[in-house]
Amino acid sequence: MTKGTGDTGISRRGLLTGLAATAAATVAAGSAALPRSAVTSWHMRTDVMVIGSGAAGVCAAIEARQAGAEVLLIESLSRFGGASAMSGGVVYAGGGTALQKALKVEDSVEQMYRFIALAGAIHPPLDKIQLYCEESAAHFDWLVAQGVPYTAKFSGSKELPMGDESLYFSGTELAWPARDLATPAPRGHVPGVPGMTGGRRLMETLLPTAEALGVNLRAGVAAGRLITESDGRIAGVMVTIAGEPRAIRVRRGVVLACGGFIHNREMLKQYAPHLYDCSVPWGNAGDQGDGINMGIAVGAAALRMHEGFAIAPIYPPENVLSAIVVNASGQRFISEESYYGVLGDAIAYHQQGRAWLITDKQSSYPTHQDSFLQVAEGNSIGELAAQLDFPKGALQHTVGYYNQHAANGDDPLFRKSRTYLRPLQGPPYKAWDLSVANAFFPAHTFGGLRTTVDGQVLSSFGDTIPGLYAAGRNTAGIPTAPYIASGLSVGDCTFFGRRAGRAAANRSRS
Amino acid sequence: MKRLSQIITLCCSLYLATVAVQAQDAQVSEEQAQAGPAPLEQPVGDAARGRLVFGPCRTCHYPEPFMGHNNGPNLHRIFGKVAGKQEGFDYYSEEFKAAQFVWTPELMFTWLENPMAMFPGSSMMSLGVPDPQQRADLIAFLMQASVREP
Repeated sequence: MTKGTGDTGISRRGLLTGLAATAAATVAAGSAALPRSAVTSWHMRTDVMVIGSGAAGVCAAIEARQAGAEVLLIESLSRFGGASAMSGGVVYAGGGTALQKALKVEDSVEQMYRFIALAGAIHPPLDKIQLYCEESAAHFDWLVAQGVPYTAKFSGSKELPMGDESLYFSGTELAWPARDLATPAPRGHVPGVPGMTGGRRLMETLLPTAEALGVNLRAGVAAGRLITESDGRIAGVMVTIAGEPRAIRVRRGVVLACGGFIHNREMLKQYAPHLYDCSVPWGNAGDQGDGINMGIAVGAAALRMHEGFAIAPIYPPENVLSAIVVNASGQRFISEESYYGVLGDAIAYHQQGRAWLITDKQSSYPTHQDSFLQVAEGNSIGELAAQLDFPKGALQHTVGYYNQHAANGDDPLFRKSRTYLRPLQGPPYKAWDLSVANAFFPAHTFGGLRTTVDGQVLSSFGDTIPGLYAAGRNTAGIPTAPYIASGLSVGDCTFFGRRAGRAAANRSRS
Repeated sequence: MKRLSQIITLCCSLYLATVAVQAQDAQVSEEQAQAGPAPLEQPVGDAARGRLVFGPCRTCHYPEPFMGHNNGPNLHRIFGKVAGKQEGFDYYSEEFKAAQFVWTPELMFTWLENPMAMFPGSSMMSLGVPDPQQRADLIAFLMQASVREP
């Protein structure tokens, strides 16, 4: 990622003599894919071509190279690393990882599976979840073997540790209803570096590994159309190098791994309108949906395209979790201690994008923050309600009912933990706008191509498209909506990226 | 006033350099490259509107001093600092390590129109804020947020 890279190794003379490929691209203008018959010259040949340099792409490249394939990896931007390098670098793993064992954390594959399968989306991809849970401990060992540093330290923080701790509860495990569905365990495995640059450290470890293995890494090279044989097999990829279209021949497999589409506003509006309405697109500049569109153009099915994470980061500080969150009817709809991805999902997808945090003196934000605007203040709940547009008496009823039970340590509606449960009492009462439009509300896409557990891309008829693989946010994988834990996305990228790379390398040469 | 004209000169020269590079890449004529763009007019920004325009920047940058550096340097009191020199931030590109200029609102306004084009060697992979009004709003917000003490 630190490698500079306008240098693509392509000479000016090479550019000038590549006119045949330019002509081929002209034929293809406007077409969904380029027929191989239109390609008159190949600029380069490789066994496996990986598109995208985030965790999914780099893990695919490492495995493909280790399986003996010649591997070319391209990145459209000038720097490697993708959104993974900008993330916290959390990998969700469990069932008794080496780190969990070192910290004497009890966990099982079954409880991890129950958590992912039951606490989030309806009809999640159970085949991928099962395999992931069965093998995440071994996958964590692999990350350690690559040199990703982890410390044998646990953090009790609800947010990505700011210290160098490597294990924490990264999701909604402890909140109801998740805690009744699966025995909670901390499964967020984060590189042991202070601050929030774990993703950077992860990629700074994996990229040199790929390079040392002999992966041909090229930055500043953007992918265009896939090139197909007359029977639908993938023959190669059109790319743009220094402004010129070039055809790359791929003998075994193309691995699409160039991220989601949060920064493609038009695509976002069409496919994921709830995420379009969220105030802050969260991702890498390259998250333009290119890989997904390349796949759709050759007949791939795309799943769960409207899903993604939508985050309402009301914590830290954790004192805020004693407050309540209400919808436009002035009613609670969730346990406020839920993982902020679960809370954000509930607001963005199920409450028309609108909600308010109602705090008393103790649960208010102690210092200035720019995430949420204070929109009302009063010495009583009635005074507060009068300033907001709730149905008459609704907020008073909500707070009265909540307080009555909270005083007995009980939350009959959403079973908030006693850690955070107490009556709202003590002015000033304040209301904070948690709407997707006015709050700091980061969003990222999860929809993508339908793939097998080996990363083979499936067509809309359910058949594999020979020679086409995908991983990470180019696929519909383990992360679904609601996003129930940090680390499910980078975990999915690294784990299934590796499998896609291996499968592509092992396909017989065409 | 003298400082402002220096800034404008700097912005223009940076822009011309950028345009020249792009021109070379696109193989356009030299005359086109030398024409260059007019200096950018900066609309009046609104800090309240800029609060969320700044949102995506938080992927890598915090204006709050207690949050420290992230993938990008902390932005507390960024205006008036020489670019690329903050202590404790290890990820500057060679281009920014060698930079001699001081961050001003005007320069940042110019930069954020298309960051990857203006400093191609920068490690900041940002699409920028092409809309001038939104960009001015972002700068107005950052001018407030970057000097706020906790």
